Amino acid sequence: MAASQIPNLNLLRRGRGRGRGGSRGVEDGHSTRTSGKDRVVQGTDNDASVSRLSAVELGYLVDPYAKALTPPGSATRRFPIINRGMCAGSDTRVFRLFTSRRPSDVIYHEIDFAVNTAAKIRAIRSTPNLQRALELDPASNDVTVSEAGDALHTPFYHIHPCDLRSLSPNLPLSEALPGVDRTLPTLLISECCLIYLSPTEAAQVVTFFTGHLFGPTYAPFVGSEEVQSSPIIAPLGLILYEPIRPNDPFGRTMVSNLAARGIQLQTLNKYASLEAQRARLLEQGFEAGQAAADIDFIWERWVNEEEKERVAGLEMLDEMEEWRLLARHYCISWGWRNGNNPGAFSGWTTLQAQPGE
Amino acid sequence: MSDLDRAIEQLRACRLIPESQVRELCYKARELLIEEGNVVSVDAPVTICGDIHGQFHDLMELFRVGGDVPDTNYLFMGDFVDRGFYSLESFLLLLCLKVRYPDRITLIRGNHESRQITTVYGFYDECIRKYGSANVWRYCCEVFDYLALGAIVLGASSELEPSGSGVNNMTQSTMPVDDGELETEVLNSRGEVTMSTYRPRQRSSSDASTDSRNISPPRDISAAPGQTAAPARTGAPGTGASGDGNGSATTSRTGAVLCVHGGLSPLIDSVDKIRLIDRKQEVPHEGAMCDLLWSDPDEIEGWGLSPRGAGFLFGGDIVKQFNHLNGLSLVARAHQLVMEGYKEMFDGGIVTVWSAPNYCYRCGNVAAILELGEDTSSGGTVARSNGEYGRSNGVVGADNTVVSPGRRYRVFEAAAQDTRGMPAKKPVADYFL
Repeated sequence: MAASQIPNLNLLRRGRGRGRGGSRGVEDGHSTRTSGKDRVVQGTDNDASVSRLSAVELGYLVDPYAKALTPPGSATRRFPIINRGMCAGSDTRVFRLFTSRRPSDVIYHEIDFAVNTAAKIRAIRSTPNLQRALELDPASNDVTVSEAGDALHTPFYHIHPCDLRSLSPNLPLSEALPGVDRTLPTLLISECCLIYLSPTEAAQVVTFFTGHLFGPTYAPFVGSEEVQSSPIIAPLGLILYEPIRPNDPFGRTMVSNLAARGIQLQTLNKYASLEAQRARLLEQGFEAGQAAADIDFIWERWVNEEEKERVAGLEMLDEMEEWRLLARHYCISWGWRNGNNPGAFSGWTTLQAQPGE
Repeated sequence: MSDLDRAIEQLRACRLIPESQVRELCYKARELLIEEGNVVSVDAPVTICGDIHGQFHDLMELFRVGGDVPDTNYLFMGDFVDRGFYSLESFLLLLCLKVRYPDRITLIRGNHESRQITTVYGFYDECIRKYGSANVWRYCCEVFDYLALGAIVLGASSELEPSGSGVNNMTQSTMPVDDGELETEVLNSRGEVTMSTYRPRQRSSSDASTDSRNISPPRDISAAPGQTAAPARTGAPGTGASGDGNGSATTSRTGAVLCVHGGLSPLIDSVDKIRLIDRKQEVPHEGAMCDLLWSDPDEIEGWGLSPRGAGFLFGGDIVKQFNHLNGLSLVARAHQLVMEGYKEMFDGGIVTVWSAPNYCYRCGNVAAILELGEDTSSGGTVARSNGEYGRSNGVVGADNTVVSPGRRYRVFEAAAQDTRGMPAKKPVADYFL
């Protein structure tokens, strides 16, 4: 990407700015080879979009952008249990985030397979609603789209066509993920993403962010006489959302059902429990805090009674036991390092986490 | 071979029957069901089954494990349709069997036997897909409206006839066998006993309270030396019958068993109140009929709000009181997935039976059916009532509880779909991806 992007970012840096990396990703823009397995993983994006749209149309979620990002003709009504669950899909978070925080104090990066990013960029280009949400002026120079139509860069929003497996410490930083400000407090989000990689690859991806992209940086020289200051280490957080507990009857069935669809959850055995998720975060450099909770816990403890009642009123849920089973097999884990800003993640210390396995 | 037998044969092979035949079948079924009361009386021996949910291949496995109709007397506690991919084949087969052998199979209504629920959970879509219109769905829904709301099982034996096929090295038993009567037995799908529990033989009314409900070890074995000798077991195999006619202070007659899909209702304090409901309608969103089909037992006291948005939660005190007032020894119900196929709660006062293995092709659970044997000690006569006789004629313990029936659970796993020469599509279970 053009190097001219970078100065823009510095101009637009705001106090509480946070970048965003990670996503579901794994095919790159450089290679035309797409393995069957990768295609299946890419397909999970559509699957999740359809689920999100179903939940939106039934009133579970408010998301005016879900429809534009779901392939036309694929809308399907899901069972209540899936509607109630969390679904990501061609992520609409950026649109919701930007419309709820104006002026925006967030810089948002998305990383995904080129095939998925190209579809998303097409959707943005053809949907005025999405452009408005991003406050894009197509006529302005602020917006650049790559020739292949799979990369998009604006002052606040970047879409990177990138195979996460290609992120290597040997890659020049300007080429890896152009537009990332390495000094800003940054939150990485992986929604059912790293789990599709091998344990080694998944660890390498995280290390790329913690050790390389957000490794120590130095303030630029202002004058030639100034002595270089101490390194800046950006506060960095990671939120993971993925399946856990593969070894009970439900988990075993999940693994075999997904395998029948060609979907392999490669790190599931390694990070099989809440405990293993916390240990993973600590091991991968999020030393200031690590926590985890399954979706059942989060539904019970984080969602207020009013919202539960609202959701219960949308559809009669005749799947309580199944819902609990399913919800216990997905977890959110989160960890953080404070870097040079001890208070960067202070809000996270009061979140209610789930103890034990 | 009659048309009906042909239809049964065809449906057993998981092939649908023509729409005109469905219409006729549903008409006949309605004529039959309209004659049934809201609470059907069923004589033991009987095999009680929980949710099926259109898992046709697993229903065939159930018949393999539990015996075929009409050899085995069945009671299905509803939720025949929705979720699985073969709701039509499953429900129509059960309905054919009902029409063909009305005295050997009892069907009661589950909360999914409803127009509203079937449009959300798959049966409606399946009808459209397989018949091209909503006609068959409408016929079936009309039958749903006539299904009984519950059943009372009478004449069950308190003691099981040992199945004799135990695999001793894997049997968890509460022993000793000699002095106790076999109260519960759990068998796997190969007919091997995997667990059994005994209770002290009833000596006098003051001992009745020591019965070991809830599949827990008997507490008072050592205090039983003066008990009568073990009875000669003369009952036919599989009936659970024993020849316990030994003139002890009590007879072995047990209290009646109420079978209902969901559970109890705060509006219903007696079985007779169920009989007063005007049931021939779509399942209402609230009220007694709704509660019977939607409620769940829970570890609470009294009544609680149900997270399902219909029915209530009810605690052990409610069950105990209801059973006592109605001379019942047990409430058998379905409605809730239990990973082990069955679950007894509240000192054995209520049991959940779940008969859909690997529910929704996703849950990884096993299924179970519950067999109640026939009590032959009273010479084969069975008191005809809703169980109210129980307090005077049944075994009454010091705390006025009646003795629970001997319970044999047959546990089974999901059928391998591709090994039976029946059409089966590879099911796709939803996950968050």
